[in-house]
Amino acid sequence: MIDFENITYNYSHQSGVYDIDLEIQDNEFCFLVGPTGSGKTTLLKLLYFDLFPHKGKVNILNYSSKNVKKSSIHKIRKKIGVVFQDYKLLKQRTVYENIALPLHINGVGRKKIKQLVREALDLTELSHYSKKFPDELSGGEQQRVCIARAIVKNPDIILADEPTGNLDPTTGHKILKIFEQINKEGTCVVMATHNYKLISDKTYRVIELNEGRIVSG
Amino acid sequence: MIDKLAFLFVEGIKNFTRNKLTNFLCIVTIFINFTILGTFFVLGYNTDNVVNFLRSKYTFEIFLNSETSLDQAVNLKNELSNNSLVTSVDFIGKEESAKIFYDEFGEDIVEVLGYNPLPTSLKVNLEENGFDANQVNTLIEEYKLNALIDEISYQGNYIDDIESRINLFIFAFLVLVLLVIFISIQIIGNTTNLSLSNRKDFIEILRYNGASNLFIKTPFFIETFLQSLIGSLLAFFLVKYGFVVINSYLGVNIEIDYYLWAWMIVLSLIISIYASGRSMKRILV
Ligand SMILES: Nc1ncnc2c1ncn2[C@@H]1O[C@H](COP(=O)(O)OP(=O)(O)OP(=O)(O)O)[C@@H](O)[C@H]1O
Ligand SMILES: [Mg+2]
Repeated sequence: MIDFENITYNYSHQSGVYDIDLEIQDNEFCFLVGPTGSGKTTLLKLLYFDLFPHKGKVNILNYSSKNVKKSSIHKIRKKIGVVFQDYKLLKQRTVYENIALPLHINGVGRKKIKQLVREALDLTELSHYSKKFPDELSGGEQQRVCIARAIVKNPDIILADEPTGNLDPTTGHKILKIFEQINKEGTCVVMATHNYKLISDKTYRVIELNEGRIVSG
Repeated sequence: MIDKLAFLFVEGIKNFTRNKLTNFLCIVTIFINFTILGTFFVLGYNTDNVVNFLRSKYTFEIFLNSETSLDQAVNLKNELSNNSLVTSVDFIGKEESAKIFYDEFGEDIVEVLGYNPLPTSLKVNLEENGFDANQVNTLIEEYKLNALIDEISYQGNYIDDIESRINLFIFAFLVLVLLVIFISIQIIGNTTNLSLSNRKDFIEILRYNGASNLFIKTPFFIETFLQSLIGSLLAFFLVKYGFVVINSYLGVNIEIDYYLWAWMIVLSLIISIYASGRSMKRILV
C-alpha cells in the first residue's frame, strides 16, 4: 500500500530526507518517531503528494509519484485522512462545517453527512463545540477537530502528524485509542510523534528517523 | 451528486454575499459596459429608422399660408413639379394633416380646438440622381420669399453632415464595443484574481482534503454567474426604460428588440465566465 523506493528529498543542502526505503502494509499501525527536524513531516508530505521526491519514487494506493497526473492527486487525497501538524482548519467555518468538508468533497449525501459528522464529534468529544469557530477553541480542541475531519470520511490511510502534540496525556491516550479502533476496522495508520512516553507501552512498529535518515524500523 | 451540487451552489452564494466589494465592482463594470453595449445594439437595431431619416434628405415640406386658396396651391404644386430638381410633389390638405396628427399624437385636434389649425402643405420629393445640396438650398431660399409660403422645413443639410461622418461613426462604434468587451474582461479577470488570492488558504485546505479543480472552481463560477446576471439585467432595464422615456419625450419611435434581455444576459455570461475562467487557469493549475 505504501512503498518508498530509495527516496531523497532535500529542501537545501543540509535539510531533507535521504535514501528512504520503506514499506507499510495495508492494515498496519506504525509510529514515525525522531527528534524535531528529523524529517517526519516531510515523509508524510511525500505521501499525500504535497512534495515530490527528487530521487526515487513513492507508491501509494496504486499511484506512483513518478507518473501521477496533477489532475489525479485529488483522487488519492480523497482516500487519505491527514491530521496536519498545523491543523489547517477553515477559519470562517464552524467546527461542524470543517468536519463535514471532506464528506462534501467526496460527494456524500446530506443525511449521511449529518450522521457521520455526529459520530466523529462524539468520538472526539466535540459535540458541544459544533457551532463554534476554530478561533474560539483551545489548541487541543482545534487538534481534535482536525482529527475528526481526518477520520470522518473513513479513509484507507490515516496520516497523523503529531496528533497529540497539544493534548494532555489522558486525552492523548483517548485519541490513540480512536486510531487503534479505526485501524482494527482495516485502515492503515501512520502516526508521527516525538511523544515516546505515549507509545512506550505499545507493541506496534516504530520507524525511527534521525537527520533525515531511517535509523531503525 | 445533487447534494454536492447543492453544497457548491450554496458555497457560491456564500462567497457572493461575503465579498461585497469585489462583487459590487464586477456588477458595476458589467452594468456600465452593458448599458453602453445595449444602447448601441438598440440603435443598430433601428437602422431602418435611421435610413428612413437619412432618406428624408430627398424631401422637403412646404407649409402654406392659411389664406392660400386651393387654386394657388395647385398652381404652386405644378410649378414645382416642373422644376428639374423635383421628381414629384404630394399635396397634403388640411384634413389629411389632421389625420396625420391623429396618427402621430393620438388626439383629434379638430375636436379639441373646435377648428383645424393645421396648414395645407406640399411634400416635395427631390431628384436623387445627381443630387446637389447647394442647388436645393438655392431653390428653398427662392421659395421662402414666396408670399403664399409660411415655412419650409428641410433637414437635408444636417443629414448631409451626418452622412459624411457615418463611416466614422460605424468605426468608432466597433472600436467602442471591442473596448468595452476588453475592459470588462480585464476588470472581471482582475477581481477574480483578487478574490482568488484572498482565498488562497481556503483553496489550499480544500485541495488537501481532496477537492478537484472543478469543485474549487464551481463556487467561483456561480459567483461570477450571479454578478453578470445582476449587472446585465440592471443594464437591460436602464436601456429599455431609457428608450421608452426617450421615445415619449422626443416623440421618436425607437424600437427595442424583444430578445434584448436574452442576448445581453448571454453575452455578459460568456464574457465574465471567460474572464474568470482565464484567471483561475493561471492560479489553479
Ligand atoms: N519548507 C521548508 N523549507 C526549507 N526547509 C524545510 C522546510 N520544511 C522543513 N524543512 C527542514 O527540513 C527538515 C525536516 O523537517 P520536518 O518538518 O520534516 O521535521 P519534523 O521531523 O516534522 O520535525 P518536528 O518534529 O519539529 O515537526 C528540517 O531541518 C527543517 O528545517
Ligand atoms: Mg513535523
